[in-house]
Amino acid sequence: MGEQYEVFLGCAIPSRFNNYESSMRAVAEALDIELLDFEGASCCGTVVLKSIDETSWLALSGRNLALAESRGHNVVTPCNGCYGSLRDTHHVLTENEEHRNTINKVLGKLGLEFKGSVQVRHFVEVLYDLRDRIRERIVRPLEGLRIAFHPGCHLIRPSNVTGFDDPELPRKVDELLELTGAKSIYWPLKLRCCGSPLLIASEDVAMRILREKMQSAKDSGANCVVTNCPACHTQFDVQALGLTNEAGESLELPALFVTQVLGLAMGLDPEPLGLDLNRVPLDPIADILGI
Amino acid sequence: MGRARYVGEADDEVTDVSDETWGQFKTFENAVFEAFDSEFTREASRLIGGQDLQACFQCTKCSAGCPVSDKVNVQVHELMRMLVLGLREVLETDMVWLCTTCYTCQERCPQGIHITDIIFGLKNMAFRRGIAPPGYLAAREGLYNTGRLYEPTEWEREDLDLDPVPEFDIDDIQTLFEATGLMGLGKGKKKAGGE
Repeated sequence: MGEQYEVFLGCAIPSRFNNYESSMRAVAEALDIELLDFEGASCCGTVVLKSIDETSWLALSGRNLALAESRGHNVVTPCNGCYGSLRDTHHVLTENEEHRNTINKVLGKLGLEFKGSVQVRHFVEVLYDLRDRIRERIVRPLEGLRIAFHPGCHLIRPSNVTGFDDPELPRKVDELLELTGAKSIYWPLKLRCCGSPLLIASEDVAMRILREKMQSAKDSGANCVVTNCPACHTQFDVQALGLTNEAGESLELPALFVTQVLGLAMGLDPEPLGLDLNRVPLDPIADILGI
Repeated sequence: MGRARYVGEADDEVTDVSDETWGQFKTFENAVFEAFDSEFTREASRLIGGQDLQACFQCTKCSAGCPVSDKVNVQVHELMRMLVLGLREVLETDMVWLCTTCYTCQERCPQGIHITDIIFGLKNMAFRRGIAPPGYLAAREGLYNTGRLYEPTEWEREDLDLDPVPEFDIDDIQTLFEATGLMGLGKGKKKAGGE
């Protein structure tokens, strides 16, 4: 029997990375995960609104939670930003009665109430549960793919809110990626923030962080970087375009979503995997990917 | 309760803000603080996650793991010290807006202090005082007007055979933000629910 979730897409994926959504849907279908539309979903608020005003953030994010809850569905999202925001809101509203009362008063104006029964999961979390099913589905091993996997901060931290993996030594998504025959390599700055949240405050600092990350991935012998977050992917597949270090060497690496890697290895129709929409050229690993 | 003065600086002189970083407070060198404001420490303790902030014993583990430690004037352990000492100048440090929100400090704090959550609260306090990168003002405007940070790219969705993104009523979002007073923040208006 398949699992059923309302899928929370957020803003960044439908805007910039529709190939993440379509590859997620392709993988979900192959694994018998049912993704329902999330009617009425707005922005999750993410760290942007939380930085401006926590009450507004809890209200906006709480509205999304209350909507899914009112329909009796759990939520899955492929975005770390949405995942962190929705889970953090759930955490604050569950733990803090004062905030819950304030927000429910606001939500009451829309006829909604946050009760706390709704569960929010990341898509990779759902995939990890189905790893045995994925293992059986691998038909096109990706031998030679040396992945610098970047879990992204809000998937694993703060661990008392996300609770998905070891915050200092995450291995679950790496385990999934290695089911494909690829190698998830050790790289020193794997757990370092990608810098993406700073694009709004200081692109200069965001790019300095990105340079450090990319240099670390390159020095460690990666031939691609893989993410499960559209904000992180913005750094690796958009901001890194044409990026060089002080010696003038390119810091670009092909950047893929977890769902694209799994979809290829599962032999899914390449069309919905949307690899032609990845910005950094995939040529250096095209043979391995079979594209 | 004035901000820190610097040697040779007139009372009303404003330190230059560089394009590359944030905040007027750039160094502890020669800084003279006019007040250690215990009410400010209490205010910060009431922020989400602020309850244990006075347990900080300056081990500096937070700064050791921080991705911007080498990119800011005031590091995160120093920010924590400023809070404990009741220095409102902390809101003018670059650490507040250059925190990436990666939660590494919070995850590793041996005292269990919710450091990143506290910094979110400090951003809120700074925003209300008009200290915020312009991008955040634009983001607030966009969130109020559209309920989203970015709009869907329709041609890409059609190419990939994706259904339209589910719709919502923007009036609902604006009702929420009217109730929380979002658009009045930093403009001298009081927030709903007091503060």
